Amino acid sequence: MPPPPSVPPAERLLNLVIALVNTSAAMTKQQVRTGVAGYADAPSTEAFERMFERDKDTLRSLGIPIVTVDAGGHSDEVGYRIDNDAYALPPVDLTPAELGVVALAAQLWSDKTLRTDISRAMTKLRAAGAGEAAADAVAGITPRVRAAGDAYGPLLEAISARRVVAFRYRAANTGQEMARHVEPWRIAARGGGWYLVGFDRDRQAPRVFRLSRITGRVRVTGHGGAFEIPDVDVDAMLGERVGVERTAVLAVVPERAQAVRARAKVVDTSAHDPRRDGRDVLEVPFRSRSAFADELAAYADAVVVVGPEDLRREVLHRLRAAAALATEPVETPGAAGEVHRG
Amino acid sequence: MAERADDRLVRLLGLVAYLDGAGPVRLDELARRFGVSPRQVREDVDALWVSGTPGYMPDDLIDFDAFSLDEGVVHLTRARGMTRPLRLGTREAVALVAALRAMHASPPVQAAPERAAVVGSALAKLTAATGDAASAVDVRLAGDGDPEVLAAVSAALADGRRLRIRYVNAADVASERDVDPVRLLTQDERTYLVAWCHRAGGRRTFRADRLLAARVLDEPAEAHDVDPDVDITASVLAEGGPGAPVATLVLASPARWVAEEVPAESVRDLPDGSFEVRLRVTNPAWLRRLLLSNAPDVRAVAPPEVAADAAAAARAALAAYADEAPRGDAPGA
Repeated sequence: MPPPPSVPPAERLLNLVIALVNTSAAMTKQQVRTGVAGYADAPSTEAFERMFERDKDTLRSLGIPIVTVDAGGHSDEVGYRIDNDAYALPPVDLTPAELGVVALAAQLWSDKTLRTDISRAMTKLRAAGAGEAAADAVAGITPRVRAAGDAYGPLLEAISARRVVAFRYRAANTGQEMARHVEPWRIAARGGGWYLVGFDRDRQAPRVFRLSRITGRVRVTGHGGAFEIPDVDVDAMLGERVGVERTAVLAVVPERAQAVRARAKVVDTSAHDPRRDGRDVLEVPFRSRSAFADELAAYADAVVVVGPEDLRREVLHRLRAAAALATEPVETPGAAGEVHRG
Repeated sequence: MAERADDRLVRLLGLVAYLDGAGPVRLDELARRFGVSPRQVREDVDALWVSGTPGYMPDDLIDFDAFSLDEGVVHLTRARGMTRPLRLGTREAVALVAALRAMHASPPVQAAPERAAVVGSALAKLTAATGDAASAVDVRLAGDGDPEVLAAVSAALADGRRLRIRYVNAADVASERDVDPVRLLTQDERTYLVAWCHRAGGRRTFRADRLLAARVLDEPAEAHDVDPDVDITASVLAEGGPGAPVATLVLASPARWVAEEVPAESVRDLPDGSFEVRLRVTNPAWLRRLLLSNAPDVRAVAPPEVAADAAAAARAALAAYADEAPRGDAPGA
């Protein structure tokens, strides 16, 4: 039975895959055009070329290994076939409980692109004969990561191909927007934010970029294999785990700052030191000084930082600025008209 | 919206490879396995039936047993060499392995050893099958919380039991409650317990790092008609509600995270790099804490009562510091 005159794209792709898997040596473009169902629809050679190039890209992005070989014998024509050794998924053999974990992991992403990627992966795993998923092992657990946004796709493509990316970026400290050229190493998510870790060609140094501050499109430029990706300590570069754990000493009003109390190693409620004004003394471990100062300043008079001195200074800096909010209101031009008093 | 051609192709190839190994399979079972409607599977079978190698003579085509299909059973009789499941592409491997790694390191999984073991073994098998391309994406779900508390919550969820928790809210007030846990949700940097609260008589969301204690009770958890799928950001917004007062803050650029992480009604960039954010808040304590934490970057606040409230709290704190010795016997400082 010959295929119908107009073949839907999915079926054209399917016929191309079957043809390239079964070909004895390789198929030339001309053989694809005249032989594979769907390509005869192309009205011109140019239209066929575009269609074939796009289809090859689609198949490669799905993990289908199309290789080019000398068509052999005559002329310098290139032939195409699918590398059958690289085609197949190695046996994965997931238990029902493990498959339940994988199904749960599929819910982690909020991005449409990542969800598409992972649901295709699930289809392939199901095709490999994985059994029924059992969710008992992870009952009641829901992990979720905020959407990475449009930059994710081109950045991942650039990392995989070792190509340079260019984008406009709004710097956090100045608010200025600048063009950046980066050798991308890793895409990372921490604490609700997505980051690009890479080598900034303009600054000639490793840098971290927050994806939400990329304005406009990420362009993938230059040729593949343009750089090597070094071993990077993503956490160190993101500055999260920089420095050692230290201990803060806090004087806390009884019953207050309970979330901080829950993390305290030592709680001395017996220190009836008059200077402490009846406060409990807590010893609480911390790493990031500024994050801890943010948290402690929010407790206002319920928490007084006794030490270390640099933490105390950071909290006082915030409190002095807050005390000034009411006495010296600063009006920013352009904002006044927008203030809504409803 | 019509299905994308590449998504359909993956399923078409998957159906052939699966049926080649599985033998005859009921059509509705295939539909369930591949997460599509039985009608879609039927259309897929029709598409496969006319596909094959160039020439497209009967022997070149993928073939099914027509009689079985009339009975609702899909029986592949010729696979045309498409018998092996397709490997994962780079993007698919990245999405899968990064998700599993993030899950594996998350506190709710780490709190229960048997759970961590299952996630770990799934991760190991998939990493072995996909190679190391997946390291391009590195996701960590921090989500703090006392491991003992999380372990108790996990156990209650697994066994369907009620919990007695001690919880401190954003206003720093602690309370004891009996709750029927619904789920433990790790979203970005935080872990939340979604539960039916018997004290409040409704669904409540508790931040795990504010759970001071949790004990599994003997009573079974009751089934409640609650939506377990919570969007935390949306629920914070809903707390405000459309009638809640609006506060407008102008913040310097270093506080840009506020615009990114706090549910804002609107955000407007200003020419000097600062930005204006409008928030609807019913909870004045929450806004006061936000202002105290970020005061050095706050350029303007409206209405003025909001600024006055934060400033008064700050002056009380500065007075407490004045009473306090400036330097203590801080160990490890």
